[in-house]
Amino acid sequence: MTTGPDLRTVRVTPALVRAGLVGGLALASGIALTATSGWLIVRASEMPIILTLLMAIVGVRAFGMARPVLRYVERLLTHDAALNDLAQQRVRTYDALIPLTPARLGSRGRADLLTGVVDDLDDIIGAQIRVTVPGISALVAWGLTSAIITAFDARVGAAIALLGFAVAAISALALRLESAGMPSLTAARAEVNRVADLLTSQAGEIAAIGAGPAVLADLDAAQSNWRAALLRQARGRAVAAGSILLAVGATTLFVAQTLVGEARHTPAVAALLVLTPVATADALTPLAEAARALARARGSAQRLGAVLAQEPAVAATRHTPDQQEPAHNGAPDIALRAVSARWSDDRPLALRELDLDLPAGTHLSLSGPNGSGKSTLLAVLARHLDPASGRYAVAGADALAEPLDGSRGRIAIVDDSPHLFASTLRENLRFAAPGSDDDSLIEALHRAGLRPWLDGLVDGLDTRLGTGGRGVSGGERARIALARAILSQRPIILLDEPVAHLDAPTARAVIGDLVSASQGRTLVMVSHREDGHDAFAESSVLPPQTTGQR
Amino acid sequence: MKPFDPRIIRTVPEARGPLLALGTAGAASGAATIATAFALTGVVVAIARGTGLRAPLAWLAAIFVVRALLAAVTEYVAARAGAAVSTALRRRLLAAWAGAPHTGSDSSATRLTLATAGATSIEPYVARYLPALIAAAVVPAAAVAALIFVDWPSALVVILTLPLLPLFAALIGRTTAEQTQKRWRALADLSGHFLDVVRGLPTLVNYGRARKQLPVIADVNERNRAATMGTLRLAFLSTGALELLATISVAIVAVLCGVRLAHGTMPLDTAMLAILLAPEAYWPVRRVGQEFHSAADGVLAFDQIADAIDAASATNSPGGSQSFTVRMSDVTYCYPGAEGAVLQGVSLASDAGLTALTGPSGVGKTTLLEIIAGLRAPDAGTVLAPACHLVTQRPFLPTGTLGRLLALGNDAEPAAQWAALRAVGLDGFVAALPDGLATRIGDDGFGLSAGQRARIGLARGLLAPESVILLDEPTAHLDAESAELAHSAIVDLATRRCVIAVTHRPELVALADQHIDLSAPEIAGAARHTTRSAGPR
Repeated sequence: MTTGPDLRTVRVTPALVRAGLVGGLALASGIALTATSGWLIVRASEMPIILTLLMAIVGVRAFGMARPVLRYVERLLTHDAALNDLAQQRVRTYDALIPLTPARLGSRGRADLLTGVVDDLDDIIGAQIRVTVPGISALVAWGLTSAIITAFDARVGAAIALLGFAVAAISALALRLESAGMPSLTAARAEVNRVADLLTSQAGEIAAIGAGPAVLADLDAAQSNWRAALLRQARGRAVAAGSILLAVGATTLFVAQTLVGEARHTPAVAALLVLTPVATADALTPLAEAARALARARGSAQRLGAVLAQEPAVAATRHTPDQQEPAHNGAPDIALRAVSARWSDDRPLALRELDLDLPAGTHLSLSGPNGSGKSTLLAVLARHLDPASGRYAVAGADALAEPLDGSRGRIAIVDDSPHLFASTLRENLRFAAPGSDDDSLIEALHRAGLRPWLDGLVDGLDTRLGTGGRGVSGGERARIALARAILSQRPIILLDEPVAHLDAPTARAVIGDLVSASQGRTLVMVSHREDGHDAFAESSVLPPQTTGQR
Repeated sequence: MKPFDPRIIRTVPEARGPLLALGTAGAASGAATIATAFALTGVVVAIARGTGLRAPLAWLAAIFVVRALLAAVTEYVAARAGAAVSTALRRRLLAAWAGAPHTGSDSSATRLTLATAGATSIEPYVARYLPALIAAAVVPAAAVAALIFVDWPSALVVILTLPLLPLFAALIGRTTAEQTQKRWRALADLSGHFLDVVRGLPTLVNYGRARKQLPVIADVNERNRAATMGTLRLAFLSTGALELLATISVAIVAVLCGVRLAHGTMPLDTAMLAILLAPEAYWPVRRVGQEFHSAADGVLAFDQIADAIDAASATNSPGGSQSFTVRMSDVTYCYPGAEGAVLQGVSLASDAGLTALTGPSGVGKTTLLEIIAGLRAPDAGTVLAPACHLVTQRPFLPTGTLGRLLALGNDAEPAAQWAALRAVGLDGFVAALPDGLATRIGDDGFGLSAGQRARIGLARGLLAPESVILLDEPTAHLDAESAELAHSAIVDLATRRCVIAVTHRPELVALADQHIDLSAPEIAGAARHTTRSAGPR
């Protein structure tokens, strides 16, 4: 079942509370170590019987050993909990992106998408390590210290409690300042990442048109914004760091002032009390750091939330179960009546009141001027885009009422920019028809006209493609997509400019092979090219911007 | 791991100032920390003995004010230095890559990881690790010096135990370095995997396999979690061990002080100062250990970035002159990792006018254009060409306004942009958009049809200042009517430029001054020269 990722920045789970408690004890041990040492030294200077010091000596030793051990345990608990959660939330985030694919992904840009998924989610989950656990730890250590010190002297206890509130207030201020600078920082970072993505993933295309200096100028502008935003935030942090030290100093002065000239406490206890504020500061200063991390995580959560909150272009996409193996019981009759469609509400209609009949087994090639809505028509047929109006009927029934996986499971799509995964050729084909053996993969490659190419591969089906693998030409890429469609044995194949990158004889040969391999299947091809149209039983032209009849 | 890599200064000279400021602030903070121990001792002793508190309190107050100021300054200066180093490195790296022909040795996803996350990971190295390192260099030395002055037996204990910490740290560092390297690779793979899967989402959705990737992602994440936890366990154990070592050493100092106090052979103020100073000798070293794992990624990334900058700068191709001739002789090219050569002994000569390049798919037409454009370096043979403008099959169309897309690589005025749009038949389409040239287009031309994308790329080619224009299937996506218009624009361009067009369109071939068939047995040398319609202007 699809549930979006949990984007709450502060989440108190049992695992994190456990880690926070252990961390709090570690911090408290540190405070106790300093305070007890002070007591011990002053008491020893009074040259008492050594036995009276034993308790304190044991205490110093225990606190000294406990601090590193407890901290080690706390950090392991924290990171394990956070990494576990990260793995889960990554899966959920990806899952939530699926219904938004493909119609809702382009406008934000790929670099943003990567940043959104990886960085933002890392920040959100990282808040458990940087905010939740340090927060609980500081609270525990502060509470323990205030309570124990109050037992010695209520005024000093109150001063320690007050120091805690002061540091909390400073941290809240730091959070404010940090949050105020966050939108510009996030925007600047996204822009830097976007430009960096362009410069790396499209390096060739940029160099090809001599746009390097222009894009690097974009990078400079983005980075200068980034630096400015970082420094704005650093000013807030500087104020916080200074204020905390001032608060610690003031508390120490107050405690010293309060105890001076009083005989209420022994000199040893007085030393213990005077040293406590400085020791407590070590436990409380991480709060300012936590505030900073929280501000960043909130920004990330907002950004990622905005991406995932988009409405899918297909109403039925949310909450669909995993796709079942489609039953290939032949192609159904398809009919469109007065179908109009647009990519989003603020865009004009890309397809207007189209009527189209596709009886089972039709082989139809569609041409038409650029912008006549051919790709939009295919998106509607593929159920990637809900029509704005009109009726889309499959075997006489309303297609939109049918479960999405049922409709989509009948249709294979070959578009003009098929993706090759960073994996073997075998895996790049087999996902279209899981369980296929190598023979059927090779047969599909042959039918797609890739026999000579395949024969030239030293590693055959084990050849690695995609990122980090062997480069393929545009024609080879298109043919691999055709091979996927052939392999999938789906009864309807939609071809979106499939042979744009092929030379005329090869295009004709590939389409001829495809058509003869597709008897009984419905084929709809959209292409500007004339090559191959004659292999189709029917051709038709979509007029531009029409209230069209076929 | 080196404590401080001097290559940072060499690679990013502009970081010298911020780094110097950071060092100064760090050293001053260290001195103030030592002073705090003295002031605190004065206060504690005054209270324990009931002597005058005014002077020690005044000192303590003054020192806290100074420390507060220094803390604020350090925070700001550290952020400035971190930002300066990371942004300058990213700029240098991307500029170096932009100027070098593609070698295919690393993927774009790996490069992106290095340029974004990699460069950013240097920020904590500079802003957090370096201050810790400075404190580790300054504070222990100052603490030991003060101890020698105050109480030499305590100083002796510290001097004997302190070297154990860096020794320990070095041992641990050597063990974790290997692990860190593994982890970085795992993270790069993971990030590449995510990008790959996300970019492939449309394809996966087509075949109903998007959700099938979920367990794969979960598996990759699980492997990453296991690898990370392995590294962290080791790192946390090592910092824990260092902390324990430090605590034990301080305890030895405290016990010695206690014993001497109890025997009356040591005054209280000396003992108090000794136990307050002793920890100051150890904690900065411990903090270096703590910051170690946040900095380790940065150090590794810095090494990779510095190496990549060096490598890319070494292969930088020089720019050509503004001539109208392209000469290519005996060029051979083989894709990295591929067995056979795509191009074998290809020669070609082209001057001002239109040269049509044809041949069956896979014969290396696109590769040939990329070699002429200097995007690929041939394995053998010579190429003589000025700076070229290559209109690729998928033109570079980043997010931005139409006007900005058209202006990439040239400085054409809007009037010239409209003329170019008219020449490719897009003026009507753009004029009908509510914002005209200011209309924003999504990444990769999202919102435009394939034909419109191709024609924007062609229009930009018409505006390009380069003397050689290379066109890769400029009209493949166009219907007959649009193609005809585009063809006449190309012919017109060829009167002013040397135009080489890869095409499958017989109509365009017919219009060419020269036709080269790459599948012909002897290429270019035997190419037919048809009548030349115009020379260079």
